[in-house]
Amino acid sequence: MREVSYFAPTDVGEAVKLLAEHGDKAAVLAGGTDLVPQLNYYEIKPAALLYVGGLGLDYVKEEGGKLVIGAGTTVAHLLANDLIAKKFGVLAAAAHTHASPAVRTAATIGGNLGTASPAGDMIPSLMVMDAEVILASVRGERAVPIKDFFTGPGETVRAADELIVEIQVPLLPGKAVFEKIGRRKAQTCSIVSAAVRLEMDGGVCQDARIVLGSMAPTPIRCPKAEAMLKGKAINAALIAECAAQAVAESTPISDQRATAWYRHKAGTALVGRALAKAAGV
Amino acid sequence: MKQILSFTLNGSPVDVVVTPTETLLDVLREKLGVTGPKRGCDDGDCGACTVLLDGEPVRSCLTIALTVNGRDVLTVEGLGVNGDLHPLQKAFHEHGAFQCGFCTPGMLMSAKALLDHNPNPSRTEIREYMSGNLCRCGSYEEVIEAIQAVAAGEYKE
Repeated sequence: MREVSYFAPTDVGEAVKLLAEHGDKAAVLAGGTDLVPQLNYYEIKPAALLYVGGLGLDYVKEEGGKLVIGAGTTVAHLLANDLIAKKFGVLAAAAHTHASPAVRTAATIGGNLGTASPAGDMIPSLMVMDAEVILASVRGERAVPIKDFFTGPGETVRAADELIVEIQVPLLPGKAVFEKIGRRKAQTCSIVSAAVRLEMDGGVCQDARIVLGSMAPTPIRCPKAEAMLKGKAINAALIAECAAQAVAESTPISDQRATAWYRHKAGTALVGRALAKAAGV
Repeated sequence: MKQILSFTLNGSPVDVVVTPTETLLDVLREKLGVTGPKRGCDDGDCGACTVLLDGEPVRSCLTIALTVNGRDVLTVEGLGVNGDLHPLQKAFHEHGAFQCGFCTPGMLMSAKALLDHNPNPSRTEIREYMSGNLCRCGSYEEVIEAIQAVAAGEYKE
C-alpha cells in the first residue's frame, strides 16, 4: 500500500509552502465532506493530505463596506453568524438548505468553492453579490471575481500551489433571494438552484443579477436575462419572459437526479419565483 | 505514514496509531472496538455514524481521524452514566423509536446535540435537525415523540 503523508500546518504561510512543494499531488482537506467520500471509495489517491482546519480561517467580519469570510468558515457558523443573518441573508438561506446539521458542522465555504460542483449550494448567493475569491500562494495573493472562478465541473482557475483563503463580498444594495429544488428538502444535492438580486427604485429595476446552479457545467450568470430587467417596471409578464430567457442561457443535462426537460421546467419556475420575491410582486 | 493520534473518547484519553486516510469511524470501529457508530453509507448521507466532536454532531465517516487530535469525541457508548441509560435512550426504548436499531446510535447523538442546543424544540425543529439521520424501518414518528418526551422532562438521568 502506498504511503500517504499528512500535514497540519498552523498558519497560511506554512500551508502555501507545503502546497508549493507538493502541488497537485496533495489534496487540500478542510471539512472533508466532499473529499473523504472520494477517499473512502478509492476515487482519488493523493500522495499527501494537507489539513487546513488549523489555519484560523473560520471568521466573518465587516471591513470597508465588504463582508470578509474566512475560507474555513463552516456552514454551521455561517448560519449562526449575526453579520451574515443581517447583511447577507441570501447566503444564510442557501446555508439552511445545505445537507444536514452534522454535515454543516464540518463543511466549509472555501471547500464548497474548491469542490466547484455545478450544484455547490453557497455559490449562487456569492455570485449575485459579485464576491471575490482570494487565493494565496508563495507567489503572493490574488483576487478572482467569482464569475471567473469556475471553469468546469470540479475545475477552477486555482493553480496547484494556491489555497483559497478568503471570500470578500461587497455589500451591494437590493433584495436577494435563493431558491433550490432537490429530491427532498434536507440532505439533498440541488436539481436546480437559483439566486437573484434586484436593485429597485420606485418599482423600476436599476440593476439585476440572475444566477443558475446545476444548469450548466458551472454555476452561471444569465446576462441577457439580467439586461431585460434594467430600467423596467417589474410585473408578472416581464418576470415570466425573463425566467424563460435565463433558462435559455443555460445548458442543463439529464443525470441521475433529473432530466434536462425537468430542469428546464423547474429552472424557469424557480427563477420566476425568486424574481417575484425579490421584486415584491 | 503512520502517526499517533491522541484524543479524548467518552471522557478517557486514548492514544492510537493511525494512517492519514483512516476516518474516525475506521479507528473507532476497527482499532478501538467502539462499534456504536455504524457504517451505513461511508458517504455522509445516512447519519448512522454520527458522533459528537467537541459537542457538535459530525459524520465520523467523513472525519479524517488525525483531525480530531486533542479533541473530545462522544459516542453512544459514552451517553449513559455508570451503566444507567441516558434519558434519550430510555425514551427511545419506551417509545419504540427503532425496529432494527441500526440507525439508533446516530439518532441518539443527533438528538443529544439538538437538546443541548435547544432544550425545548418544536416539532418542525426536531424534524429539521434530525433530517440527516435516515431510518429504513421508518420509525421517524416515534423518534420525534421520544425527543419531545425528553424535552418535556418525562425522563430523568
